[in-house]
Amino acid sequence: MRAGPDVRQDDRAGRTNIGPQKLADLLEIPNFVLAISNIYPMKRTIIIFVIAALVLISAAIWLLESQFTGNFQEIVMVIILFLVLGFAIFVGVQRLKSSNRNESPEDELSKKIMTKTSSLSYYISLYLWLALAYFSDKMEWETHTIINAGILGMAIIFLFSWIGVKLFGLRNG
Amino acid sequence: MVNRIKELRAKHGFSQLELAQKVGVRRETIVFLEKGKYNPSLNLAHEIAKVFNLTIEEIFIF
Repeated sequence: MRAGPDVRQDDRAGRTNIGPQKLADLLEIPNFVLAISNIYPMKRTIIIFVIAALVLISAAIWLLESQFTGNFQEIVMVIILFLVLGFAIFVGVQRLKSSNRNESPEDELSKKIMTKTSSLSYYISLYLWLALAYFSDKMEWETHTIINAGILGMAIIFLFSWIGVKLFGLRNG
Repeated sequence: MVNRIKELRAKHGFSQLELAQKVGVRRETIVFLEKGKYNPSLNLAHEIAKVFNLTIEEIFIF
């Protein structure tokens, strides 16, 4: 079969020499692959925004369904919820800014900060649950109130642990 | 551990972002390193030493 004007057969080596136009056409696929690979580092940023949006929608449904009375407990819960959402949006925006500066959204420091924050907040949360177990007997709280307080408390502890790690840094020893 | 990153960066005329891009980390990591709030991995220390054309011991002082 005769090759087209842009593709020449090299008889000696049995290879096909590709002309510039054909090469440009073939590069369409690598460009598409490149576009996908550019999206890949943004995956976690997109997940953060999706989770934040889901939390916001859930909170809105909860406020509408539960007939928000505006008592102290409900106001505290809403404030904590918005703090956690604000934190998630802040982290997402920071990642987007890094991406715009052609930086990797994650590097060794950011991974270590998240690891340290997670371990520290888990450790402190154990004391929170211990305190909740103690006070729930004294104050006769309902089960769902204890669980809500525990989850929101853990979120706040995570937030403050993250701020603490950022302020004091990570030094070995 | 102290380091000479800020001094060497100024000497070579790099911005924090430029140095970060050369060694493949975020700018925040360079900020943390210069403030002494973070001790880098051996790999990162090696990359920084390569950029300044020095040894690790000449940049990071134990």
